[in-house]
Amino acid sequence: MNGRLSFLSAKGRKIEAIYRITLRQQLAYKVDFMLRASFLLLILYVFIQLWSAAYEGDTERLIAGFSLKQIIWYLVFTEALTMASPQLSLRIEEEVKNGDIAIRLIRPLSYLSYHYSSYMAEAVFRFGIHLVVGSFIAWLFVGPPTFGFGWLGLLSLSAGALTIAFLLNGIVAMCAFWIEETRGLEFVLQKLKFTVGGMLLPIDLMPEWLQRICAWLPFQAVLYIPARTAVAYEEVSMLQYFAVQAAWIVVLGIGIWTIYRRGVTRLHVNGG
Amino acid sequence: MSMEAEESRISGKRVWIMLRFLFTIWKVNLASSLEYRISFLLMAGMMFINNLMWLFFWSLFFHRFPVINGWELNDIMMLWAVSAGGFGWANMLFGNFHRIPSLAATGQLDVYLTQPKPVLLHLLASRMSLTAIGDFAFGLAIYGWAGDHTIQGALLFTLGLVISGCIFMFLMIAAGSLAFFFGNAEGIVQQVFNSFVSLSTYPADIFRGAARVFLFTIVPAGYISYLPIGLLRDQNPGFIAGAAAVTIGMGVFSTIVFHVGLRRYASGNAIVMRG
Repeated sequence: MNGRLSFLSAKGRKIEAIYRITLRQQLAYKVDFMLRASFLLLILYVFIQLWSAAYEGDTERLIAGFSLKQIIWYLVFTEALTMASPQLSLRIEEEVKNGDIAIRLIRPLSYLSYHYSSYMAEAVFRFGIHLVVGSFIAWLFVGPPTFGFGWLGLLSLSAGALTIAFLLNGIVAMCAFWIEETRGLEFVLQKLKFTVGGMLLPIDLMPEWLQRICAWLPFQAVLYIPARTAVAYEEVSMLQYFAVQAAWIVVLGIGIWTIYRRGVTRLHVNGG
Repeated sequence: MSMEAEESRISGKRVWIMLRFLFTIWKVNLASSLEYRISFLLMAGMMFINNLMWLFFWSLFFHRFPVINGWELNDIMMLWAVSAGGFGWANMLFGNFHRIPSLAATGQLDVYLTQPKPVLLHLLASRMSLTAIGDFAFGLAIYGWAGDHTIQGALLFTLGLVISGCIFMFLMIAAGSLAFFFGNAEGIVQQVFNSFVSLSTYPADIFRGAARVFLFTIVPAGYISYLPIGLLRDQNPGFIAGAAAVTIGMGVFSTIVFHVGLRRYASGNAIVMRG
């Protein structure tokens, strides 16, 4: 029992160290942060203009259950979650190409755990910053986010959302064991999140047939589920959403583990 | 032979030599890209799919809202055709136009300075982007799908491609030349590019008031995002003249900024080989 506890505490300390290092790295690149934040402001401004034109400036009108204010705040949440994701494919691709992966593999922490810890530390930090920046412009144009328990729903579902985002990005990144360039695949994954994930358009506004397809894909669990919960808490079933996220975490978790095991056995690193 | 005729003959010969030089570089770039055929096809194909996904989003959007401030799905398709196609040809033929900051920061301009060819032209044409071929093919495919296939329509579309490609390229040359004045400017230039692409791929008419003025002055993205209406649909002479003037003006301005900046360029001691 004691042995198991000390094992868990040692593992916890390693993960905590990764979190600390990642956060320090993030704080070192303040200019990068400001640039990303300014891009978020710009893109949200464009969305506000686009959706205001779609609603013809009518703040009372409801389309598929969404008012203009709900749509804009929905976009703030999906953008903050999207921009929270670090470029995992690029990192793993570089590690495989230049052989740095050899150093990671001999460390006393599993390769996937290391990347998951590092990814989550960075993603949570970025999500917080982007949420604040995005809230600023949305508040200015459509008023305060009076969503009550919606905030609690957003924050609790965001952990699962970021984990699924890691697993999806990780599966694409693991392709680096077989193919040289994974950026193209990452682009496609990103655009799937933009469209069928509901980043640019809530799934409720899509045609029926597509809504039925989206319900069977993991992308909605990353963006649509937490953002919709935030703006329409009363209309959703949190339990059902947690169950959907949990199911995808299990399925994708098995997927990434299998791909990693197969990929790492065919890895050859020369020199050093 | 008169003096004028002699001068004209010499300048004609110079243009011919320059064109031959450019064709040779493009031929070598293409041959080099085709050495990695799988990678080439994968990258170009992914970019094509990437753009297609954006159109998928717009088709969903216009399915719900058929007309947005006078814009219909066909207009947004043509906007993506001219913007992606324009960016595509510029990045295929002059693929270094967004890499000036990194080339300057790493001392890789030396190789262009030591050769008897125009530095900017030589630098720009020395790289062919693989993904850009996907962008260009996408532009042509969408034109084939949703464009006007008359001779006039084809000529207008070609003009749209030229304007959008030149605006993208000249903007990035001017922004990239900031590296000569402020040192490491890669992050800022990349952000300028991302922002410009975002502004130029949404319907120009969703912007009103000061934002619209901004789009047609300080950040001339409006001259790309209004092309489907001002050039392809309405053939508005005022807009066409404005777009042409802005494109030429940006070309002159970016060339001047680059050459003024180049005087401040200090090489490192890196030895650079061209592959």
